[in-house]
Amino acid sequence: MKLRKILAISAAMAVGAGALGACGGDDSGSGSDDSSMTFWHNSTTGEGKAYWESTVADFEAANPGVTISIQAIQNEDMDGKLQTALNSGDAPDIFMARGGGKLADVVEAGQVKDISDAIDDTTRAALGDAALNAFSVDGKIYGMPTAILPGGVYYSQDLFDQAGITAAPTTMDELDTAVSALKTAGISPVALGGKDAWPAAHWYYFFALRECSQQTIEDAAKSKSFDDPCWLAAGEDLQAFADTEPFNDGFLTTTAQQGAGSSAGLIANHLAGMELMGAWNPGVIASLTPDEKPLADLAWFPFPAVDGGDGDPGAMMGGVDGFSCSVDAPDACTDFLNFFMQKEYQEGYANAFHTLPASKDAQGVVSEPALQSILTAYNEAPYVTVWMDTLFGQNVGNALNSGVVDLLAGKGDPAGIVQAVADAAAKG
Amino acid sequence: MSESSDKDVLTSRTSPGAIATVGDERPSSPTVRPAQRRRPDWRKRLEILLLSGPAIFMFLAFVIFPVVMAAYYGFFRWKGYGAPTDFVGLDNYLIIFKDSAFHEALMHNGFILVMSLVLQGPAAVALALLLNQNMRGRSLVRVLIFVPYVISEVIVGTGWSLMLQTNGAVNGMLVKMGLPGWTVDWLSDPKVAIWSLMVIITWKYVGFAVILFLAGLQSIPTELFEASAIDGATYWKTQRYITLPLLGPTIRIWAFLSIIGSLQLFDLVYIVWGQYVASTAGTSTMATYMVTNGRMAGNYGFGNAVAVVLFFISLAIALVYQRFVLRRDTEGALTEGKK
Repeated sequence: MKLRKILAISAAMAVGAGALGACGGDDSGSGSDDSSMTFWHNSTTGEGKAYWESTVADFEAANPGVTISIQAIQNEDMDGKLQTALNSGDAPDIFMARGGGKLADVVEAGQVKDISDAIDDTTRAALGDAALNAFSVDGKIYGMPTAILPGGVYYSQDLFDQAGITAAPTTMDELDTAVSALKTAGISPVALGGKDAWPAAHWYYFFALRECSQQTIEDAAKSKSFDDPCWLAAGEDLQAFADTEPFNDGFLTTTAQQGAGSSAGLIANHLAGMELMGAWNPGVIASLTPDEKPLADLAWFPFPAVDGGDGDPGAMMGGVDGFSCSVDAPDACTDFLNFFMQKEYQEGYANAFHTLPASKDAQGVVSEPALQSILTAYNEAPYVTVWMDTLFGQNVGNALNSGVVDLLAGKGDPAGIVQAVADAAAKG
Repeated sequence: MSESSDKDVLTSRTSPGAIATVGDERPSSPTVRPAQRRRPDWRKRLEILLLSGPAIFMFLAFVIFPVVMAAYYGFFRWKGYGAPTDFVGLDNYLIIFKDSAFHEALMHNGFILVMSLVLQGPAAVALALLLNQNMRGRSLVRVLIFVPYVISEVIVGTGWSLMLQTNGAVNGMLVKMGLPGWTVDWLSDPKVAIWSLMVIITWKYVGFAVILFLAGLQSIPTELFEASAIDGATYWKTQRYITLPLLGPTIRIWAFLSIIGSLQLFDLVYIVWGQYVASTAGTSTMATYMVTNGRMAGNYGFGNAVAVVLFFISLAIALVYQRFVLRRDTEGALTEGKK
């Protein structure tokens, strides 16, 4: 009697386990089905989320039989989840990508589709080489750029006026003068989210962009070695700048984007004069102003020129956001990439994300003054490199983050940054 | 968790023996037939298998298997994509042992381990003795002391990091109290940061120790206190010669849990200091080193090697502690079982 019960229970458990297994199986099957695709992006709220929902709906209407299921994933979780999904063989068909060394790792593992021949001619012409280069590995294109996010210094025009600064700084000397003018006026000159480390590293990247020639940067991206003296010079520039104590009090424990006490929050609430950031910043600042509207007096100037540097003073650095297809994705995946690159959808993208669309045809829609000055500088730039942590890959970028924070905290020196890169190369 | 499994082992060890002695003592009894004895035995095994099987399977699949896989990945230079192919032998381990950042992290772990015992132990014993008295509002104070332990690490870390920021509430209060000279960079000054961490840890975990010690105090027979009172012992002598020695096993178990917790400390540091600033501020631990140099850097092979080192350091300390400190407690338990 008891035995029978036990057997019955174990049989029930076996059936249950089987059912669970079957559920799992259903999920993983979606990748290979020709008519349905999964799509991962990082816009979990607001206008961005709505934009992707309506764009996908339009695509499904235009392509009967094709369905796309959207998964919006929190930005900070994206890399880890994507890596797990790619390794498990259950990758999303369409996923967000940012080019550079990270994409190169995925390409090397053979997990992303070569879309070089699938991009239609209108899109290719509207994008231009610079944006597409961000997603090229060994001459093949692995992703479709949707937005360009160049970096530069955002500042509050009102606070600059209050401190008596009449023109935006164009050289380091002028920047130093502006810093002391702001200090005299009792304003924190530069907001820096040191706790997140990458905003601090951006300062080093921009000094390196001015100190190192385009060729040197490209060579270093391949060799992962910082032997050229310009890398040390960039660290010395940063040290000299940090010695003028331009950053907000307690910058080491300030976050970049979370809440009013973050560096973006300090700008949004007129508590600091300027911040070095990428083109996503107007949107972030807008969400942190007291009335959650864009900051009216927000303005922008390119990173100042550095005396005697090998880099072009007009050179720009910035990120490119885009989307890639997994290697097993159906052809409809590239159709979708081409679909959302049409002018009207790129304009919608720019409005939804308050940013610069990758397609030049759609850039007319940009209206915010800070973004317009970025666009002008971007289109005049002799060359554009991607963020150096993206360019050099996760490992070196990570080491630079730690090295620069140590330098700013007075715990390291310029040579330590170069050493950190060498140490990191040994670990990966 | 470890305690309860120990108990399981003890009972399962003693019960078959007990059955055997019962059987041996009554060889003449005609009612005990061999067939009957074997059948329950077989059914018992099935029952054990059925009931413990899922747990054993989960333990093997989610604890033992990952440990083995980590050891395997630790021998590779691996970016985490696809199967690892670049075998580097013990290179990862050599780099770890030469890395000054790891040495610093290890030192911080050691400091936290010792200071946790030194700060929390006496404080918790004192609080437990105090709260064992009959006094007004005792339950309320007990709850208040235990509340920090129940709050999630993320909330504790976020709260403290906001208060201790350079422009945070603590410095603000000091200025308002007319003590602007006392304001300090609580989180970013390397001389101060680790002490800030110790304050947070003590505040968070002292309640757990107090609850353990209170439970230990309940198990001390009141007759002993009565006897000592009759013999004319003072309050302090009673605590010194009766309470503390009899609280010993509880204190030793708490110290063991505290040591393991200190070695594996991650969440509070990661929340308060973020992904990168911990090593700069001098609060990095082996676990934050592992995450920064493994996961954040994308060097998953190296990160796994760090995990293995962390595992062996914890295992070695745990075994030494069990062998030399906890042994008398477990021995006592075993003799009791044999009686």
